[in-house]
Amino acid sequence: MTEANNIHKDVPCTFCGCLCDDLIIEVEGDRIVKNTNGCPISKERFVGHMENRCLEPTVKGNTVTLEKAVERAVEIIMSSKRLLIYGLSSTENDAQREAYRLAELTGSVVDNTTSVCHGPTILGAQESGEATTALAEVRHRSDLVIYWGANPAAAHPRHIPHYIRQPGEYIKDPKVDRKIWLVDVRATTTSRMVDKFIKIEPGTDLEVLQTLRALIRGNKLDVSEVGGISIPDLEEIATTMKTAKYGALFFGLGLTQSWGRHRNIDAAIRLIQDLNAHTKWGLMPMRGHYNVSGANKTCTWVTGYPYAVDFARGYPRFQPGEYTAVDMLARGEADALLNIAADPVAHFPRGAVSHLMSIPVINIDPKFNMTSQVADVNIPAAIAGIECDGAATRMDGLPLYLRKVIEPPPGVIPDREILKMIIDAVAKEMK
Amino acid sequence: MTEHIVLKNGTIFDPMNGIDGEVMDICISNGKIVESAPAGAKVIDLKGQAVMAGGVDPHSHIIGSKLNVARLTSPESNRHHPYPATKKTRSGVAGIIPSSYATGYLYSAMGYTTVVEPALPATKALGSWEEIEDIPGLDIGMLPLFCNSMISFKYIEEGDISGLAAYIAWTLKKVGGLGVKVVNPGGTYAWAYGKNVCGLDDEVPEWDVTPRTIMTGLSEAVQKLGLPHQMHFHPTNLGKPGNVYTTMQQLDALKATKPSGKKKETVHLTHMAFDCLGVVEEGMANWKDVASGGLTFADYYNKKKHFTADLGQITFGPSMTMTGDGPFQYSLYMMSGGKAKWSNIPVDVELPGGAGIVPFTFEPKSAANAVQWVGSIEFALSIKDLWRVFLSTDHPNGGPFLKYPLMMSWLMSKKQRDIWLEKVHKFASERSTIANIDREYSLNDIAITTRAAPAKILGLEKTKGHLGVGADADIAVYGFIPEKTDLASNPDLILKYFTQTQLTFKGGVQVSKKGIVGKQLQSRVISVHPELNEDLDRRINSELEEMMSKWFSHSFSNYPVPKRYREHIEMPTVIDATSIQA
Amino acid sequence: MTVKLLVTSGRTLTQGRAMEKGKLTSDYENAVAVCELDATAMESLGIENGETITVKTEIGEVVVKAKLNKNLHPGMAFIPCGPYFNFLLDSYTQLTGMPGFKSLPATIDAAPGAKILTIEELIQLMKEGT
Repeated sequence: MTEANNIHKDVPCTFCGCLCDDLIIEVEGDRIVKNTNGCPISKERFVGHMENRCLEPTVKGNTVTLEKAVERAVEIIMSSKRLLIYGLSSTENDAQREAYRLAELTGSVVDNTTSVCHGPTILGAQESGEATTALAEVRHRSDLVIYWGANPAAAHPRHIPHYIRQPGEYIKDPKVDRKIWLVDVRATTTSRMVDKFIKIEPGTDLEVLQTLRALIRGNKLDVSEVGGISIPDLEEIATTMKTAKYGALFFGLGLTQSWGRHRNIDAAIRLIQDLNAHTKWGLMPMRGHYNVSGANKTCTWVTGYPYAVDFARGYPRFQPGEYTAVDMLARGEADALLNIAADPVAHFPRGAVSHLMSIPVINIDPKFNMTSQVADVNIPAAIAGIECDGAATRMDGLPLYLRKVIEPPPGVIPDREILKMIIDAVAKEMK
Repeated sequence: MTEHIVLKNGTIFDPMNGIDGEVMDICISNGKIVESAPAGAKVIDLKGQAVMAGGVDPHSHIIGSKLNVARLTSPESNRHHPYPATKKTRSGVAGIIPSSYATGYLYSAMGYTTVVEPALPATKALGSWEEIEDIPGLDIGMLPLFCNSMISFKYIEEGDISGLAAYIAWTLKKVGGLGVKVVNPGGTYAWAYGKNVCGLDDEVPEWDVTPRTIMTGLSEAVQKLGLPHQMHFHPTNLGKPGNVYTTMQQLDALKATKPSGKKKETVHLTHMAFDCLGVVEEGMANWKDVASGGLTFADYYNKKKHFTADLGQITFGPSMTMTGDGPFQYSLYMMSGGKAKWSNIPVDVELPGGAGIVPFTFEPKSAANAVQWVGSIEFALSIKDLWRVFLSTDHPNGGPFLKYPLMMSWLMSKKQRDIWLEKVHKFASERSTIANIDREYSLNDIAITTRAAPAKILGLEKTKGHLGVGADADIAVYGFIPEKTDLASNPDLILKYFTQTQLTFKGGVQVSKKGIVGKQLQSRVISVHPELNEDLDRRINSELEEMMSKWFSHSFSNYPVPKRYREHIEMPTVIDATSIQA
Repeated sequence: MTVKLLVTSGRTLTQGRAMEKGKLTSDYENAVAVCELDATAMESLGIENGETITVKTEIGEVVVKAKLNKNLHPGMAFIPCGPYFNFLLDSYTQLTGMPGFKSLPATIDAAPGAKILTIEELIQLMKEGT
């Protein structure tokens, strides 16, 4: 916690699903001046927290008071028939809970960035369950770690150096006693950090996973290669996996976003379950945003479902494809968008973005981003984990308390407070 | 807000105060039951309706990451059970694993006011506190797990019960826990190696501990601390035919622990339906030869009085098995031929092998399920002292808490039992003595086993589980007049009247009427803070900092649940454990 | 010469840092208006590292900067996740909610001297298209 003066220790980072909580943040006056231990992206996030900030609420580009911006937001919400509330993965749990409250009150849809990230992982788990592992468990016990369709060097920079290539209670020399492999369609920076890179043809993950399952079960195949990998090589991979003492499979968007979508994950889950008949294996999705795992958790305990939830009937209903943001926008179903802590204009396909640009958009975010350029209403928010506290969930399910290390810019309040204002005003309107 | 209420002419069942069906008035003032209410109090004439204290449920999985993983991976269990919002209450889903708000409302509708989450990995406690914000209307406790923790093993290996007690005390304070949970001691740790344990003296990989030393070490530490609730115990060999014998062995092993307080019992055996499966005479320990272990265990229970128990009753239909017994959950998955949706959730250091989740359906026509169903009923009807037992389904393992009234009906009505014995596989009758049992639980018996006894077992009997002066005004008014209602002959009425109370009060506030929740009350957390002496406190802080920094993958200073999530709802009981030597 | 490739997208360290700095910065533009190509593709196109190219799919086309990635395998290209890639991507999710971010068939042509749209211009273009 807070040490002498302006040095904060053990601060959880709020960039990616690693949620590293060993950051040392130094504050001088109204600036963060140093981030020790954070990766380069983390450093940018903390030290650059004041760059490109939205500092004032705007309506149609004109600065207004917060009250006026909320008023306009409420107008948009009240006159909409099919409001979509989206984002949430880059803010803390309390803000997410307010979003569900608003969605319920207005009979809207609430979706979070899971739908374009590890949504298929959840769908796969809904088919088959999920036999997971945990970060310290891997460090202590794992002698074989496989990254599949993930590029931690780019997206989770400290995953390997801070969590995986570290000695543990039962693995004393992680360079010798722990093998790290990467399976991907292309050689990335990560491939230079691991012990073995296995190239797989694009769109063949499902076949390769199922082939490994078949080989582990002792079946013989009548082809010579699958996914660009020869059968003897696959046999060797299968044997190594089967004889590992504790294996961990970390998988990323290479599996969830490729051909096969949730079927890929389903196969990976079943592979891990099969391996448990021989030895100990677990898998873990490499959650991207620092609190997308939290968004799934909060949504699940409040509504019963992890994302893509519709309240039009006065109770939660769940359906990917129907209530997922990209689909709702691409089909032109949403007639208003409340976007919180995300940037769909930058990250959604063109068709969805086109429609988004034709409907009224309320955007709540600390920084100017692409969505703020097209939003009717922009309301600046404090950065969770830097300028306001809260809780978030790490990729392996560990909840962590986020710190407030510095005051937000004047007049800028946390997402949860903004949402509360909107909810109170909407509730008043609805009376 | 009505602060003073007089409930007139209720037919009161308050076993803790010796009241069995007397027509009396109950006076409520400022959230408590008082001798008399001030003038101007609101008067409600109950016209003879049955009244009990609010239900106390010490074993129900209502929070935590395994529950959320279950909801997340099994949306089909909730899809057909919408729970619409009202002007005063939130929406949700109300299948076998209801969402948080719905959980609170449904318990209130049923007349329950105190619920304990029986298995918390302490390192994830922050998430549980957040969930509690969204479960209304209850007083909630949590039992952190200690029996597969590497830290516990270090102390037990060294025979350092003081260190172990200090670790427990530290954890209970830092995360707001209520007691100590033990689940398959050593077994879930072995699951990190793909193994399990089954004998009391089996080796646990890498550590010089055994199930015996873990169990006895923890029960001793609990007594040393003087915790109000005895060690809560899910034994080794869960769900295995013939395990009634190993369960009794394990309970025997705990007999040596000396109780430190007034209570004689030093261990609470949970969900005995899963722990006490018998075998036919001359039979083998397999499903073919499985028989009810209920009578065997009842005989043991009647003789050995150092433990308490709860049923873990199977209620048939879809359920969700979720326990900290990783290898058991895996075995269920294997039993399904690898078809079931099996989830496994390890927790660093405290539950290395991992908790497990497997959706499961109990079929009346399944021989195994029918025998397991009848076992706990036979037990409950064969025991003498009802003050050492409480009713449960190990929600949602044996069935959802929504089916508690069904469970009650089997105990209260022979007619109901006969109806069901027709429906279920014949082994239920053939392999138990149930057909010969005429006993029926009275309302007094129900009040004991769903209110008074569980309150005592938790050590909360001062304010919970009774309707005497000084109790919290947690009250359930049922919509029937006992004198005029023959529940045993009309078991459907048991389901009707116990599923939804006429009125439920929590802390003197009316939260529900005829099953409709009209007021959303913030839940509170019941916890225990054992105070250690300075030396031991210093020692444990430094030792835990060393171990946790070495073993966890997050910072030691981020382990405790921050005040900001606790101070407005926590009701800690401070215990003086300063006599424990450093 | 036109080159047919499978384009995949994902994060990069540069894109991540630029994103945290701000989406409307030139840092961000430079980080995401980029297409990594292998040596054979660059040769077929007859271009040097850093030259502009047009990437075209069924949905549309966009000008970005070519970047040589010696570790990339022939037949594949990589554009960091962001608005330039998404400008080319269809919204079909197969009802899973997830568009096809990982394999987009595209054709690539050298586009010497072509202008890379700024983020603002890209937004404007998308607005006009509605």
